[in-house]
Amino acid sequence: MMYAYLRFESRRLIRDPRLLLFSVLGPVVTYVIFSGWSSGDRLEGLDPAVAVMIGLAGYGAVAGVLMVGATVSQERAAGWLRQLRVTPLPASRVVTVKALLASVSAFPPVIAVGLAARIQHDVALSAGRWAVLLTLMWAGTVPFALLGLAMGYGLTPQIAQPANFLVFLVLAVLGGLLAPAAYFPEALQRLAHALPTYRYAELGWSTAAGQAPPTAGLLILVAWSVVFGLVAAWAYRRSAGRG
Amino acid sequence: MNDVAVRLSGIGRRFGAVRALDGLDLTIERGSVVALLGPNGAGKTTAVSIMLGLTSPGTGTVTVFGQTPAAAVRAGRVGAMMQDAGVVPVATVREVVELARSLYPDPLPLDRLLHTAGLTDLAGRRWDRLSGGEAQRVRFGFALAGAPELLVLDEPTTAMDVAARDLFWETVHSYAADGHTVLFSTHQLHEADRFADRIVVLAAGRLVADGSPAEIRALAGGRTVAFDRDGTPADDLAGLPGVRSVEIRGDRVVLTTDDADTTDAALAGRGFRGLEVTGSLDAAFKSLTTGKDD
Repeated sequence: MMYAYLRFESRRLIRDPRLLLFSVLGPVVTYVIFSGWSSGDRLEGLDPAVAVMIGLAGYGAVAGVLMVGATVSQERAAGWLRQLRVTPLPASRVVTVKALLASVSAFPPVIAVGLAARIQHDVALSAGRWAVLLTLMWAGTVPFALLGLAMGYGLTPQIAQPANFLVFLVLAVLGGLLAPAAYFPEALQRLAHALPTYRYAELGWSTAAGQAPPTAGLLILVAWSVVFGLVAAWAYRRSAGRG
Repeated sequence: MNDVAVRLSGIGRRFGAVRALDGLDLTIERGSVVALLGPNGAGKTTAVSIMLGLTSPGTGTVTVFGQTPAAAVRAGRVGAMMQDAGVVPVATVREVVELARSLYPDPLPLDRLLHTAGLTDLAGRRWDRLSGGEAQRVRFGFALAGAPELLVLDEPTTAMDVAARDLFWETVHSYAADGHTVLFSTHQLHEADRFADRIVVLAAGRLVADGSPAEIRALAGGRTVAFDRDGTPADDLAGLPGVRSVEIRGDRVVLTTDDADTTDAALAGRGFRGLEVTGSLDAAFKSLTTGKDD
C-alpha cells in the first residue's frame, strides 16, 4: 500500500522539471563556471575544486529537499491530502513517504556535481569515500526535510513557495555553500558555523579529507533537526485538525 | 445493527462562534441512496466530514458500519469524493485510479473501473490537463476504485454538464443497485428529488425534513405558475413541460404544474409580466430551510 503510494509520488516528482533545474542543473552550471576561480588557496582543508564541489552538491541537495517538502502545501490546498485521508492509507505513511522522497532528492545533485568535478578538475575520491560521502549527504538532509515539511504543512501555497526560496537562499549563502565561509568577515563566519547548511556541508568536507565529522557539527545538526521537527509536528497537527 | 451503514446521534459541532451542526440525529440504512440537501452553510459538508472521520464531532457519537469512521475508512469500507478538491500534477488518469485501487483490499478490476467512471478514453491523459467535468470523473473513479460499501459524494456534480450529470447518476444508481450505500450532498432540490430514495433536509445545522422525494414534495402543496398574458396567444401553454392544466382568468393565466421550476424555465424569455410561482419545489425548500413561506 505504502509502496504503491511511494511509486506514485516518485513518478510525479521525477516529472517535475523544477527539481531538475534548481537542484541539479543550477549547481552543476555554477560549479563549471566558478570552480576554477579560487585556485591556490585551500578551503576547509581541501583542494578548492573538491571543497566547492561539496558546497555546491550540498546547495543542490538542500534546494531539492526543501522543494519537495514545500510541495505538500499545494497538495494540501488542492484537497489531495484530504482525499488520501479517506482511503485506507494511514496519514503517517503519507508523511513518511514525503520525508523519504525529500531526503532521496539529495542524491542526484551530489552525483551530478561530483561527475562535473571529476570531468573538469579530475577530482578523484576512492569508491569507499564516495559511498560514505553519499550516505552522509543523504542522512544529513534530515533537518532540511523537516524544515520543508514544516513549511509544506504550515503555510499556504502562495506563501510556501517564496518562503521556501527565501529560507533556502539565506541558509545556503550564509552557510557558505555558494561562496566559502572562509572568505566571510569574522562575525558572519561565526554565524555560518551555527547554521545547519554549513554543518551539513561539513559532513562532506570531513569525509573528503578522510576524517570523521566533528562532534560539534553533528550536535548542531541534531539540534536543528529537533527544532524543525517540533515545528513540523506542530504544523502537521494544525493542518490535520483543520481537515 | 447490521443493516445500518451510518449512525449519527446528537452530533453537534462548532467552529469558533459558528454552530455548524446542532444535535443532528441520522441513521442511514445499508443499500439506500440518501441525499443530504440544504443551502450553503447548512452543515452538509461538516456532517460528511464527521462521517468520514476528517472532523471530530464536538458532541454526540458517530458510527460507520458499527465502527468509528476512522476504522471503517482504514478497513477500506468507505470511498469518498470530496467537495472542491483539485488535482495534483503530474500524473495520468490511469496512475491516479491505479493508486486508489492499490490502497484498497478488494478493488474493482481496472478495466471495469475505467469504464464505469467513464474514463476509458482518458486513461492516458494527464489529470491536470482535463476539463473540470473530466477531472471530476477521475475523482469519482478514485472514490469508486475500492468498491466501497459506503460511497460518499459531497456536491459531486458541480463541475459537470447536463449530459455528464445524467451519466454520472446512472452509474451511481447501478452501483447502489448492487447493495452499496450511497450518500450524496447537494443544494439542488431537483437532483435530490430525481436521484435519491430518501432526502434529508438540513438547515442551520439541524434536520428539518426527512422522507422520500414524494413526501418532501408533498410538503410543498399545490404548485402554480401565474402571469399576465398581455393579449399574447396562450394556445401552446398546455404543451409546456410539467403543465397539467391551463386556466385563463381574464388576462391572467394560471398553470398548474408537476414541476413549477421547469415550467417557469420554459416560460422565460417570452416576455410575460407579473410572473408568480407558488408552491414550487424551490419555494418549498426555502420554506423548509428558513422556517417561513415567501
